[in-house]
Amino acid sequence: MAEAVAKLGPEKQAAPKIDEAKLREHEEAASDRATFGFWVYLMTDLLMFSILFAAYSVLHGNTGAGESGRELFSQPVALTETLLLLTSSFTCGIGMYRARQGNKNQVLVWFGMTFLMGLAFLGLEISEFTKFFHEGHTLQSNGFLSSFFVLVGTHGLHITSGLLWMGTTLIVVSVRGLKDSLVRKLSLLSLFWHFLDIVWIFIFTIVYLRALV
Amino acid sequence: MKKEHGTIQNYVIGFILSLVFTLIPYYLAVTHTVTGNVLLGTILTFALLQAAVQVFFFLHLGREQSPHWQSKFLAITVGGIFVVTVGTTWIMYHLHENMTPTETELKLAQDEGIGQVGGKATGACVGNSEMHMVVIKNGAVSPYHTDAHRCDTIMFMNEDNVPREIAFGPHENHEPYGGVAALALNSVQEQQTLTLNESGTYMFHDHLHAEVIGDFTVTP
Repeated sequence: MAEAVAKLGPEKQAAPKIDEAKLREHEEAASDRATFGFWVYLMTDLLMFSILFAAYSVLHGNTGAGESGRELFSQPVALTETLLLLTSSFTCGIGMYRARQGNKNQVLVWFGMTFLMGLAFLGLEISEFTKFFHEGHTLQSNGFLSSFFVLVGTHGLHITSGLLWMGTTLIVVSVRGLKDSLVRKLSLLSLFWHFLDIVWIFIFTIVYLRALV
Repeated sequence: MKKEHGTIQNYVIGFILSLVFTLIPYYLAVTHTVTGNVLLGTILTFALLQAAVQVFFFLHLGREQSPHWQSKFLAITVGGIFVVTVGTTWIMYHLHENMTPTETELKLAQDEGIGQVGGKATGACVGNSEMHMVVIKNGAVSPYHTDAHRCDTIMFMNEDNVPREIAFGPHENHEPYGGVAALALNSVQEQQTLTLNESGTYMFHDHLHAEVIGDFTVTP
């Protein structure tokens, strides 16, 4: 009996070790697949944005009797929005770096900053849109404004959903701590956030700066 | 796996580069240091540089493990985006050029009182305007000179019992005004109205009695 126990002992102890390594491998593979799947989503989203950009570049001159972008847009506001998003992209990257180190408080600080800057960006965009609406520049005004509101509004909706995702994930992190599954979630979220930053750069250039050409 | 993710240093470099690539095109556009297509080309180049910074420093692409599926997928997507955006812009630009009304079409639209054709103002007069009376009595034009604004109307009234034909420009070498060659006033009390859609000073005379002359000035 004692011999049998001694025989069983090491095997029993060794068994979970093998499983854990296998599990880790399996999890990493699953994580890679999830990342790639998310990447596929981002690329199709990018294609959708490119169609909205194409529509805008065709329609941006069709202002009818209304004002053109040169008269409507405020470039300093657009620059502020750009700097907010760029900086939030940076803090999001640092937050992700801290997440991989497993530093929960730092993750909350850096992602919290990202969240606040995203919120400020959204606030500026909403105030810009309401200003336009009050002045009578709406989706229905002309082809230029239709394509403008759809393009910039779609990006704004992405930012909104990104903020909801970030807010809820951060709450879960603060309550449950930095679990591996949450780090994976944060890594997808940071991909999404950088991606929105890239889309915004083209909105800033093609919509706001181009109005001055 | 670890190599895929950046270092703090990487993020800082990427951040500084992205700020530089934002502020330079902003400065160039706002100050109008360069204009037109040069400016358009410059800001688009900076946008692409900016996107490249984001992709390499923040998304850490190109450092993933073989077989680089993400990079390949991105490359294909960028190709698709190129076809969609450049193709659309190119096709629609030429369509727009070919659909743009020519000078004669604009003229026709203007005469019909159509204010806009293909997003281009025709200069047609739409809406209220002032009317100026020019009376021809006893072979004299009263007033001799009329000052009017563009889109006003001028009314020629014949008070004499002789047929008249109001033509524009000096006698013999007539120049039509606003597409109108002449206005016939065949009997007494007959009147004709003309919309002043071209700016400048114009002479008019009675083609049948060349000594009957007058002029009008149209300011925009």
